[in-house]
Formats: sequence, structure tokens, C-alpha cells
Amino acid sequence: MFKDLDPILHSQLRLAVMSLLISVKEAEFTFLREKTNATAGNLSVQIQKLKEAGYIEVIKQFKDNYPQTICKITTEGIKAFEQYVKDLQAYLTQK
Amino acid sequence: MEKEKKMTEQESLLIIQQMIHTAKQEQKDDGKGWILWGWLLFAASVLTYINLKTQWFSNYFFWNVFGITSLLLLLFSVVRTFFFKKIDKVKTYTAELFQKLNIGFFISLLLIIVAINRGVSPVLGFSLLLGLYGFWILIYGAGLNFKPSIIGAYITWACAFAGLFVETFDWTMVLHATAVLLGYIIPGHLANIEFKKIHEQKK
Repeated sequence: MFKDLDPILHSQLRLAVMSLLISVKEAEFTFLREKTNATAGNLSVQIQKLKEAGYIEVIKQFKDNYPQTICKITTEGIKAFEQYVKDLQAYLTQK
Repeated sequence: MEKEKKMTEQESLLIIQQMIHTAKQEQKDDGKGWILWGWLLFAASVLTYINLKTQWFSNYFFWNVFGITSLLLLLFSVVRTFFFKKIDKVKTYTAELFQKLNIGFFISLLLIIVAINRGVSPVLGFSLLLGLYGFWILIYGAGLNFKPSIIGAYITWACAFAGLFVETFDWTMVLHATAVLLGYIIPGHLANIEFKKIHEQKK
């Protein structure tokens, strides 16, 4: 039996954000927008969903008088991502 | 990217691969540090070698010039870091590791330079310096999976070992220049070419 893929991660933009964040220590909102080609509005909504799921941490701060939104993957997020990849591999090898 | 679009497993895998690849590109180094320090060290070694043969100035004149230049560059870099540094959009684990290793490298470097000035023979002292360069070059090469630096590190160590058995300082300078050319300058230029290619592709 296949395990259902995590619905939080099984979305294009959220998966793209998580894949970026798993490879770096932390990234600014503008970096994520640039790399995913998403609109600011859509990205904000998806980031909020990931935050609510506990998969990422969002830090809003000011640096040199500029507002900065920093996103960081959490331990829970890493576990969920790894599980998602495992489930995905299971699907692909069985097919 | 579209909102909440249904995707297949293959598409998921492709997104993961693409994004991890994109993030990896951020870890590429432009090699400018290696090029700058490499050419400065190379010039100091070659000029010292020529100076030893021609006796224009005192034996360590060009290393003293190098020392002053390094201090000025260090001052410039401190000023730039504190007053003009751009905000990093992304922080990578490798960049953070390199920052910490840089501190360790400069402290060890200082220790050897002071030791040379306190009586350790410059012939042996420069071999110790090369040993330290090799260590940093290897970590850089391994961290970024950059083969020219990994090869450069072993060549640098070979020069360091050879340096322990030479008798005169002019040969120390030949080994130093060779190590810097193959460990700093060539890998630095290759890293710079690769970095430029990636950034041109992005445009």
C-alpha cells in the first residue's frame, strides 16, 4: 500500500520553497520569490501555510532600515521533507 | 508558479531536483579572493627570488611590502563589511563554515608569521605556511566539490614537504611561487570562469 503524499508538501510552490530551504541555512523572501518565479502574494500565502504546519520558521526583522523576511526550515520540516521524498520514491519504484 | 496546481510524482521529483540545483548554484564562489591573494603572494615570492639574486634591497623587503599591503587590504575589508556590506539574500551552510574557518586560518597564519619573526628559520617557516595554505585549499575544494582546489591542495602540500629539505631561501621562494600558482591562482581563475558562466546563464 502506498502512503498518501503529505498534502502540505504536495503542491508546486510549497515543495519548491521547501526544496530551496532544505539546501541552505536560511533565505530571504525575495530570494525565494526570485528562484520560484512566484508572485509576492501567492508566495506569502504558501509560506504562511508552511509556517502553520510547523515546517518553516519565519523571522521578520529590520536590517539597515530595510524590512527583511527570513525563512528557515525547522527540524519538523526536514523530517516531513525526507518522508515526502521517501514516499515519492516508493511511488516511482512501484510504478 | 501557479497556485495549488495538481502535480504528478515525476513533476514533484523534477521540482525538488531543480530547486536543489538552484540552491547549489548559490554556493559557488567567484574565486576573486584566491586570485587577489594568489597574485600578491606570487609577486612577493618571485620578486624576493629576483631580489636575492640581484641584492637590490634587503632580503625580506618584498615580504615587508606584502605585509603592509595585506594590512591595508584587511582594513579595507573591515570597513567594507561594517559600512557598505550588501544584505545577503541567502545564507548557506558552506559560507558560514568558510567564515569560521577563515578566522582559524588567519590566527594560525599570524602564529607562524610571529614564529618566523621570533627566530624560526624562514626556510622552515614558509613550509609551515604552505602546509596551512594546503589545509584551507582542501577544505574549500571539498566544501564546494571543486576539483582544481583539491588537486591544488595536494600540490601545495608536496611543495611544503619539499621545502623542508631545501637549504637556501631562494629555493623556498621557487616552491612558494609554484604552490601559490597551482593552489591559489589557477583554481581561482577556473572558479571565476565557472562563476561567470553560471551568472551569464541566469541572465
